[in-house]
Amino acid sequence: MKLKKKTVMLISFSLGALLFATTALADMVNKSGYEQLKDGLKVTAEKCSEELDSFTLDLSMEVKNNGETLITSNEVSKFDRSNNAQESFSSQESVYGNDYNSYNYSDDKMRIRWSEDQDTYYVTEFTNERDQSYYNNPFKEEGAEDIERIVDAVVGSLKDHVMVEENSDGGKELSGSLSEMQIPALINAFASFQLKQQFNGRQSNMPHLTQDIFVKEISGKSIINADGIMESMLGTALLSGKDKQGQVHELSFEILVKMSDINNTTVTMPDLTNENVVKEVERPGYGPEITNPEKFQGLFKNDILIEKDGQYVKIGERYINITHIDDSTISGRYYEEYRDDYEQYTEGALDFRFDASFERDGRQASFEYTTETGKTTSGNLYLDEYIGKLNFNINQDSRSMVYDYMFSKVFD
Amino acid sequence: MAVFQAALINEIEKLYKKKKIMVAIIISLSVIIIGQLIIVGMRTGFGLRGVGSVEFPILVLSVVVNTILPLFTALVAIDCFSSEFSNNMMRVTLTRPVSRFKIFSAKVTTIVFFILFNLFVLFVFSLLAGFLFNANSATAIGLFKIVISYGVSLIPMIVLALGIILLTNIFKNGTSVFFVSILGFLILKAGAVIFSQYSSLFITSQLDWYNLWLASSFPLNTIVNQLLIMLGYAIMFFTAGYYLFDKKEY
Amino acid sequence: MNKVIEIKELNKIYQNGRGIMDINLEIYEGDIFGFLGPNGAGKTTAMKIMTGLIAPDSGDVRIFGHSITEEYEQAMAGVGCIIEVAESFPFLSAYENLKQFSRYYPDVDDKRIDEVLELTGMIKFKHEKPKKFSLGMKQRLGLAAAIVSRPKILILDEPLNGLDVEGMIDIRKLILHLAEKERTTFFISSHLIHDVELTCDRIGVIYNGKMLNIDRTDNILQNYATLENYFVSEVERNGRVPSSTNQ
Repeated sequence: MKLKKKTVMLISFSLGALLFATTALADMVNKSGYEQLKDGLKVTAEKCSEELDSFTLDLSMEVKNNGETLITSNEVSKFDRSNNAQESFSSQESVYGNDYNSYNYSDDKMRIRWSEDQDTYYVTEFTNERDQSYYNNPFKEEGAEDIERIVDAVVGSLKDHVMVEENSDGGKELSGSLSEMQIPALINAFASFQLKQQFNGRQSNMPHLTQDIFVKEISGKSIINADGIMESMLGTALLSGKDKQGQVHELSFEILVKMSDINNTTVTMPDLTNENVVKEVERPGYGPEITNPEKFQGLFKNDILIEKDGQYVKIGERYINITHIDDSTISGRYYEEYRDDYEQYTEGALDFRFDASFERDGRQASFEYTTETGKTTSGNLYLDEYIGKLNFNINQDSRSMVYDYMFSKVFD
Repeated sequence: MAVFQAALINEIEKLYKKKKIMVAIIISLSVIIIGQLIIVGMRTGFGLRGVGSVEFPILVLSVVVNTILPLFTALVAIDCFSSEFSNNMMRVTLTRPVSRFKIFSAKVTTIVFFILFNLFVLFVFSLLAGFLFNANSATAIGLFKIVISYGVSLIPMIVLALGIILLTNIFKNGTSVFFVSILGFLILKAGAVIFSQYSSLFITSQLDWYNLWLASSFPLNTIVNQLLIMLGYAIMFFTAGYYLFDKKEY
Repeated sequence: MNKVIEIKELNKIYQNGRGIMDINLEIYEGDIFGFLGPNGAGKTTAMKIMTGLIAPDSGDVRIFGHSITEEYEQAMAGVGCIIEVAESFPFLSAYENLKQFSRYYPDVDDKRIDEVLELTGMIKFKHEKPKKFSLGMKQRLGLAAAIVSRPKILILDEPLNGLDVEGMIDIRKLILHLAEKERTTFFISSHLIHDVELTCDRIGVIYNGKMLNIDRTDNILQNYATLENYFVSEVERNGRVPSSTNQ
C-alpha cells in the first residue's frame, strides 16, 4: 500500500510531464499560423531580392462608405531583376475628382515618367550608370530582428487568430479575422483615434466622424504557393462611426497585393516615337558623385555691395573664371572689378589664381592662394549642382563690404 | 466522499470567515468602476466609442486575468497553505480521521471555488456596468461568448494556483512564496516576449487563452494543444505539490 | 484485554542524530498510560508518529488494528489528541472551531459540542474567538476539540502545559471521569512525575530515544517510595545518571 502510493504519484507525475512534453514538441514542430505568415513574408522578400528574375506586383486599394466607393487606386509594378529594370502603372479614381493615371519606367541608364494630365514623357538619362537596386530585403536590414520581436509582443495572443489551410497543390491559405470583441480595446481605441483624425471633415465629400467611432472588424487572407512565396494578400478593415447629424457611417478599407508572372515578366521600355518627349537632366543634388563636372567651366560672378546711408549700394563685381575642371581637380582665377565711382576700393582688391583637388564626393575642394601683398591664405569652394551655382569662400580680412559666397554663371 | 466533503466545507468556511472574499468583491468592483469611468471619459473626450455593452466584460476580463485575478489567486492559495503551515495550525486539521490527500484536494478545490466565485462576481458586475453605461451591442451570441470567455479563464487560473500551491509547499514562509510568485509571473511574462515562439509553453501566456475561444474561425487544434499543455502542467504541479505536502512533518 | 495501540520497532532519527530507536509498546483498552521522560527524550516524536504528523523511518503503529501509515482514516477514527500546544483557528469562534472537527464524525452534533464546552468549562466563551484566549483557555478548547468525537483513545502530549493549579485539577478530574465513565484509553506524556503518578495506571519511561521499562503504577509504588525514585533508578540502571532531575 505504501509503495503503491508512491508509485501512483510517480506515474501521475510522469504522465503530466509526458503530456506536456509531447504537446510542447508537437507545438514546436507545427508552426503556428502566425509563424507561417511571417515565414511567408520573409521567404517572399528574400526570393524577390535575391532569387527571382522577374515578377509583377499588383497593389490595389479601395475605400467605401456605406457601400459607396470613395476611392480606388491601383498600381501594377513589373520588376525585371536580371536587367535591373522596373515599370509601373498607377491610377486612382475618387469621388473628389483628383483622378490620375501615371506611368514610370526605369533602368540603369534612364528613367521615364508619364502622367495623364500633361501627356508628355519626361526622360531622364543618367550620365553615370546607376548601380542602384530596388530589391533590398527589409528583413535583412539592421534592427529588423528587434522590430520583429516588438511586433510579436504587440500582436501577442492575437497570433492564434491566424488559421492555416493546406491546399492540394502544396501551397496554403492563411486567413484570420477579428471582430470588435476580439480586437484588444487599446488597439481599437488607438486605431479609432487615428482614423478619427483622418475623417476630420477637412476633406469635402468625406464623411466627418465625430462620435461612437470604433473598429468593427479586421480581416486578412493570404495565399502562399508551394515555393513559399506569398502570391496574394488581402486585408480589410471595417470602421464604424457617426457624423454630427447622428448618421452612422460604415467605412471599409480594402488592400490587395498580388504577385504574379514570377520569372515570366518582361519589362519593356516604351516606344517614344511620335510622342511628346521632354528630356531632363538628372539633378541629384546629393548623389554619390557629380555628373558631368565640365558644366561648371566658365565665368561666374556676383555683386559687391556695401551699406551706405541705410541702403545697399553696388560698388562692383566679383568674378571667378573656372579655366579647368574635371572629376578630381579644379583651377581658375578670382578677381574683383569696381565701378569708377568707387575706385578707392581698388586698392585692397583681390586677384589670384587657385588650384584645388576635390574631396571624395567631387563637389568640395580646399585651396590656398597668395595675394598681391604676398600673404598666403586659405579658402574653399563647393559646386552646388542642384541649383547650378558655385560657392566660393575665402578667409579674407574683414573689409567693409558685404561678402557673398554664392556665384552665378555668366551667360553671354 | 463524506470525509472529503467535510474537509471541503471546513476549508470554505475558513476562507469565508477570513473576509478575503469581501476584499475580492470590493476590489473587483472598483476595477470595473474605474474601467467604466475611463471608457466614458474617452467617449466624451475623444468621441471614440471605446466599447459596446458586450465588449466591456471582455475588456474587463483582458485586464483582470493578468492582474487582480492571479493576485487574488496567489493570496488565497498562500493563505490556504502557508498560513496554516506556520503556527502549527496544520496539526489541528491533520490529526482528524482524514487523509492528507483529501485535505490537499479540499484545499485545492476551495481555491478553485474561490477563482470561480471571483470570475462570477467580475462577470456579473461587468455585464451590469456594460449594459448600464455603454451603447447596446448585445446579441445572444455575444452574451454566450462572454460566458465562454469567463468560463474558460478558470482553467489557466487553476494551473497558476496549482503552481503557487507547489511553491507554498517548497518555501515555508508565505511572504517569500508571494514574492517568488510575483517574480516568477513577471519573468514568465517577459520570457514570453523575448522567446515569443515558445510563449505558448508559459502558463502566463495561457491566461489570455479565452481569446482563442472568441476567434471567428474556431482554432480547435490550438485550443486542444493549449488544453493539453495546461493539463500537463496541472498534473505535474498537483502531484509535486501533494508529494511535498504528504511528506511534510509537523 | 483488548490491545488498542500497538507500537512495533519504531525508529525515527532526525538529522541532528536525535530521535527514537526501536520503540515497542502495547496499550490495552482502559489503560491510562503515562509516557514519562525528560525534555528531548523522544516523547513528542513518538506521539507525532502515532498521530501521523510525521512518518517513521521504519516500524509501524497500529491503532485498533489499523496501520497509521496506511489506513490513516480508520486508525484515527477513534482517536482524539493534543500534540504539544493545543492550537485553534484564531479567526473562528470556539464553537466554529469545534464545528470544523465535528464534521469528520457522523454522530457529533451541536448538542455534543455544547456538552464538551460545558465539560471543559468553556461554554461561556462559546462565541468568542481564541485570539483573545489565555494559554489555559486555549488548552481547554484544545481538550474540548480532542474529546468532541467521543474518542476511544486520547493521546495527550503535555496536557497540563500552561494551566494554573485549578486548571490542572480540572483536567485531571476530567481524565479520570472519562476513563471511568466512557472507558476511554489514555496515552499521556508528561515530564511532571508527580502528575503522572496521580493519573496514570501504567507507566513507560523513555530516555534518550529508548524505551527503558514499562510497568503498572501500583507495582512500581510497591517497590519504590515514589515514582521519582523509580525513574532515577531506571535511568541509572541503564548506565546514565541524569545530570539534573527533570523535576
